[in-house]
Amino acid sequence: MPQLTYASIDQTILNTLTPPKRYYWGIVFMLFLGVMIGAACWAYQIFTGIGVGGQNNPVAWGTYLINFVFWVGIAHSGTLISAILHLFRAGWRNPIARAAETMTVFAVCVAGLFPFIHLGRAWQVYYMIPFPNQRLLWPNFLSPLMFDVIAISTYLTVSSLFWYTGLLPDLAAVRDKSTGTRYKIFKILSFGWTGAHEQWRHYTRGYLFFAALATPLVISVHSVVSWDFALGIVPGWHTTIFAPYFVAGAIHSGLAMVLTLMIPLRKLFKYENIITIEVLQNVAKTIVLTGLIVGLAYGTEYFIAWYSHNTIEMEQFRWRALGDYRWGFYFMVLCNTLTPLLFLFKKVRTTLATLFIISLIVNFGMWWERFVIIAGGVAHGFAPHAWGLYAPSLIEYGIMLGAFCLFFFLFVLFVKHLPSVSMTEMKETIKEGAGHAA
Amino acid sequence: MPRKRHIMGLFKNEDNVVSAINGLKQSSYEFIRVNTPIPSHKIMDALKLKKSMVGWFTLCGGILGFIGGFALAIFTATRWNLIVSGKPIIAIIPFVIVGFEATILFSVFGNVIGLLTQTRLPSYKWLKYYDPRCSGEHFGVLAACEVGQEDRLKDFFQKQGAEVRVFEQYKESPQP
Repeated sequence: MPQLTYASIDQTILNTLTPPKRYYWGIVFMLFLGVMIGAACWAYQIFTGIGVGGQNNPVAWGTYLINFVFWVGIAHSGTLISAILHLFRAGWRNPIARAAETMTVFAVCVAGLFPFIHLGRAWQVYYMIPFPNQRLLWPNFLSPLMFDVIAISTYLTVSSLFWYTGLLPDLAAVRDKSTGTRYKIFKILSFGWTGAHEQWRHYTRGYLFFAALATPLVISVHSVVSWDFALGIVPGWHTTIFAPYFVAGAIHSGLAMVLTLMIPLRKLFKYENIITIEVLQNVAKTIVLTGLIVGLAYGTEYFIAWYSHNTIEMEQFRWRALGDYRWGFYFMVLCNTLTPLLFLFKKVRTTLATLFIISLIVNFGMWWERFVIIAGGVAHGFAPHAWGLYAPSLIEYGIMLGAFCLFFFLFVLFVKHLPSVSMTEMKETIKEGAGHAA
Repeated sequence: MPRKRHIMGLFKNEDNVVSAINGLKQSSYEFIRVNTPIPSHKIMDALKLKKSMVGWFTLCGGILGFIGGFALAIFTATRWNLIVSGKPIIAIIPFVIVGFEATILFSVFGNVIGLLTQTRLPSYKWLKYYDPRCSGEHFGVLAACEVGQEDRLKDFFQKQGAEVRVFEQYKESPQP
């Protein structure tokens, strides 16, 4: 494999920004079509009423909340890779940090749509912002749903600013290699960055603070999401392990999504020298760890149910494994905990096909985990006469398709228009002794 | 006719940059700045730079956010003074979450303000006397000399192993 140089890094990454071929626009169009299907379903729901979704008593929280938690989870590994691994000086995160950060920003955007969709009367969203309504009522910050509004909006703002700050030196590099209109656009986007020593002096410090602030934030955000459930008294939700359980699950699903995105990106953009098999292998090893933590949480839930001697809790967990949604439970155990153990074999974690397939399996399993927790909890609550089942409606499937398409639509646009690998951080990787956090 | 002439030495090796900076400090030429594609410990050490002030902005933002988050939660709670389920109107523990998130948010705002004010961005004045190769694989050392001393400064840079670029007057050049 040829040795990386500053010039070869620039060349490889700038080559990805050449005008795209027709098939690229074909993919963009197909994804846009998917987004439009989702938008049409949402519009139909707004005009007809929230009843067009399958949510009803006792399961009032269906795919909208499942997808919300799923996408917030996907967002988490971006910050893990860009902030937490940065603080640990893990050099292997550099080739994938930019794409993972971008994934975070887009995943939070998609996640943020679902509370609006779930609201039904989306135009009354301003009830959630600190602004009095017509009756001079303010939001109640004792509610976990208000914690969520604050946490998710903070996360979106912080991750977007962190992403753009990291992008600044690369935007300048693209500017310096461009002419005409592209030069003018990148000149504005790069704010006049020139890599002067005075700029680096403040930038490295600011970047370090960004990482230090994003680290507790990422842990708090999914903890807050978990409290949407854990602060309710519903059996299966009301447990103190939810915060670490959700954070581990979020990082688990996010890392799987990193593999899902990076493997095709590596192939299409000829990033083999940059996103090496060692980098993917390290992600796979981390997935084994997070998978085991998630598995421990699944087991602990059963232990707590048994040890508490609480009949309602015990019934909830008996039903989880043997009841109507048992397939979801089997999927989550098999896909999230057992399948990633295959990464313990070097052959599996160094083969692109198996890495990719297992990453898809983990994503599938993590979606089902949220289904089992969210729908399963309320479907089989305290009173047997109030038990009931839930199945998503076509409108919900349409909105779900739209959400997935929106995420990939934004990501596909990003990779062809902005540097999908950080040129600066790659140069730092090959040069010992330098770092953003210098 | 500019009073001073600006000349940039373009290096591929960091050690040569450090040597050039040290040489310039001992000469009569005016050292202006170094443009580099990556942050460099060696260059920062050679320049004996002071610690950045960005952290103070971050800290101020954090303090404001902490106070503001709690104040917002307390203010909104007192707008509807009804005790529900015996819980206090001003409940500190749940408000910690609002206070924490606001602390992080405003720390980051402070950080961004600090970055923009300290680096003096956005500003296109930085592109004055700048060579686009400095975002690629070159380290550019910019120095100024009196009119008539250009050849000596060029010679100085060449002896350090640099390619030399002489800026006639300020003219933005997108292409190397």
